[in-house]
Amino acid sequence: MNLFRSEEHARRWALFNSQSEEGFISLPDLAGFFATESRHHMLEPDYLSAWFPRRGGERRAYLERIGKSTPFWLGTPSPS
Amino acid sequence: MADPRLMDQAFHLLMGSIVESGIALHYSELARALGLSVEDGRQLLHAVMEAYPIGWLHPETDYIASFPPLNNLPTQYRVTVRGQQKWFAQCGFEATSVTWLFPGTTVRVEAPCLDCGDPMVLEMRDGQFLTVDPPGIVGHLNYGFGPSRGRPPFL
Repeated sequence: MNLFRSEEHARRWALFNSQSEEGFISLPDLAGFFATESRHHMLEPDYLSAWFPRRGGERRAYLERIGKSTPFWLGTPSPS
Repeated sequence: MADPRLMDQAFHLLMGSIVESGIALHYSELARALGLSVEDGRQLLHAVMEAYPIGWLHPETDYIASFPPLNNLPTQYRVTVRGQQKWFAQCGFEATSVTWLFPGTTVRVEAPCLDCGDPMVLEMRDGQFLTVDPPGIVGHLNYGFGPSRGRPPFL
């Protein structure tokens, strides 16, 4: 999960996975993805029990809202 | 499974320590802070990391490698707050989340592009971008999320 100067820079990266063309995300969308409600509570004393469990649902809802609802983004099935 | 309230306390201490100093407490320090034996502290650390699987211990050790959004192990995502560069983000994605650990403060993330090595700079405050240089910076997920995503530490 990296940042690049542009999509072209990512594609030129020596370790670029050719099956990851759908793996690009704009910076505003990325910041939103990592700004869901639970993220605002990481410093609170009950974060682990009260807030972290909400993270998965928030992420899924956000990804669906920005149109990233493929298995690549929502979680791929086990290869086995 | 450890007492959930104790796990909350431990998590809070670990997150507080890495936010304060850039380095998460060792389990012996965690144990002392909670009035536990060292071994109970070690087991508590493992329980916390199991409950927070987006972070991880260095393989075959009891050392915290990653405690997102920050990293105990240096990465290319250097984080500067109030003129001090003593933090690292877990990855480029989590770098955009570090802002929530320093409310009301400008967080600067500097990283070399993995293609060309040229610098990239983000500055954020309370979730808002103040600086994006160069303006075309994008995020990229090299493997999909989920069980078949590949090598988690190297995503």
